[in-house]
Amino acid sequence: MTNNGRKIKIQVQNLTKRFGDLLVLNNISFNVYEGEFLCIVGPTGCGKTTFLNVLTKLHPATEGDIYIDGEPANPQKHNISFVFQEPSTMPWLTVEQNIRYGLEVKKVPEEEIKKRLNQVMELVGLKDFRNYYPRQLSASMDQRVVIARAFAINPDLLLMDEPYSQLDIKLRYYLEDEVIRIWREMKRTVIFVTHNIEEAVYLAERILILTPKPATIKKEIKVDLPRPRNFADPEFVNIRNQVTEMIKWW
Amino acid sequence: MATRIVAAPGKIRSKNNSLVWLSAASLVVFFIIWYGLVESGIISKALLSPPAEVLTTFISKFSNRAPDGATLGAHFKTSLTLALTGYITAVVVGAPLGLLMGWYKKVDSIVKPIFEVIRPIPPIAWIPLAILWFGIGLPAKAFIIWLSAFVPSVINSYAGIKLTEPVLINMSRTFGATNWETFLRVGVPSALAMVFTGLRLSLSSAWMTLVAAELLAATEGLGYMIQMGRTLARPDVIIVGMLTIGLTGAAMAFILERFEGKLAPWRRS
Ligand SMILES: Nc1ncnc2c1ncn2[C@@H]1O[C@H](COP(=O)(O)OP(=O)(O)OP(=O)(O)O)[C@@H](O)[C@H]1O
Ligand SMILES: [Mg+2]
Repeated sequence: MTNNGRKIKIQVQNLTKRFGDLLVLNNISFNVYEGEFLCIVGPTGCGKTTFLNVLTKLHPATEGDIYIDGEPANPQKHNISFVFQEPSTMPWLTVEQNIRYGLEVKKVPEEEIKKRLNQVMELVGLKDFRNYYPRQLSASMDQRVVIARAFAINPDLLLMDEPYSQLDIKLRYYLEDEVIRIWREMKRTVIFVTHNIEEAVYLAERILILTPKPATIKKEIKVDLPRPRNFADPEFVNIRNQVTEMIKWW
Repeated sequence: MATRIVAAPGKIRSKNNSLVWLSAASLVVFFIIWYGLVESGIISKALLSPPAEVLTTFISKFSNRAPDGATLGAHFKTSLTLALTGYITAVVVGAPLGLLMGWYKKVDSIVKPIFEVIRPIPPIAWIPLAILWFGIGLPAKAFIIWLSAFVPSVINSYAGIKLTEPVLINMSRTFGATNWETFLRVGVPSALAMVFTGLRLSLSSAWMTLVAAELLAATEGLGYMIQMGRTLARPDVIIVGMLTIGLTGAAMAFILERFEGKLAPWRRS
């Protein structure tokens, strides 16, 4: 099966997750295609973070399975980057050392590390701050370190969990454009979780709308608009309204 | 025994000049009151020596063996060697043990029951047993000091690594790091501040216990010197011993703090 001729990158099959008696994910199945930018929207507490945690094997699935390139997902084998909902720079490492972390864990040769470091630091505009500690950075710069660290390993799969929800609107717009730019430049597969509808429509090639807990997929919406997208474009507004309509229960 | 209160690192350096003056003034007032109490006869000179006499004794004790049998330097060296030997061997074992206990549930289950029983026993309560086992020589004292320094270094490292941000552990794991790698590269550095708190508490605990141990069983050392001062009714010798103990403790804490600043540059402002 293909989507615009693209290969399946991730296959989620009948995924169910319970915490004790609490059913959080209810028999979810879907595919993500190679190089796709997929947004997942759903109400607070519906299980979005839980889904990503199961996907990365931080939590075991109760039932069902997740495959990356046809193999069961395994962080030690697959290149996965996870941008968490909370700040996740290591305060004891400089900007550069933080960005190196994933590369070093993956035992990338030093030459290659240097090359990639320069590339991603250029990309997120942190070159002049390489020796700063996170404490010395603003919230948005800190977030850019996390994004640079995530991109540096050339992830097969990049997971972003409401990465911008803590930031003010101006920074959010800026970093949304930035993540799109980096995504297009590096051609990675991205799953971006948000509960901001406008953000989802602005970023996604495809949006999965989840139901409240226990989460299943309520609807899938393709967003086939040219970039950069315009919030005022009637087409854009149309899709946004369509998504909003789907999730009246907010 | 050891006080559990630790000054936040960095707060000690005050850039404010008026605060420095305040500290100086407080010291001056302290000495004036001391001087006044003794010179006015409110406190007898047989009980408390005036500041000048303490200073004279302090200087003379650098070369003079009288009245307690050794120079201040010899006492100091004996005590310091003993304290550092006990301290270093204790934290070298204690800090890693605490870190491992805090990270690996299995290690925790094995060590915790024994540790929890040993932990509330004050180090000096071990003195009788230590003397029974090792006699009154150096090994007995080293053993007690080792225990006194061991306990805080374990507890603080343990508590520190338990506080590691879960999101950082998850970050490391999603990059594919092994548990051991995550322990070394995320758990340990994130616990470092608390490990250092443990090292400071261990040091003051070791130093205090040392004096207690020497009061009971020694032929040389600062604790022994104080004890001899009492026997010989020489308050000046007692005070010189006490001041040396106090100044050394403060100096060691200071050195450790500088060392921490070197090891943890991300916390410097
Ligand atoms: N480790 C856990 N143990 C027990 N219950 C959990 C655990 N993690 C999450 N839950 C529960 O699962 C449900 C979904 O939580 P989750 O964090 O996945 O929601 P979310 O969609 O990411 O919400 P938000 O938009 O607020 O980030 C919640 O009811 C939560 O209480
Ligand atoms: Mg969440």
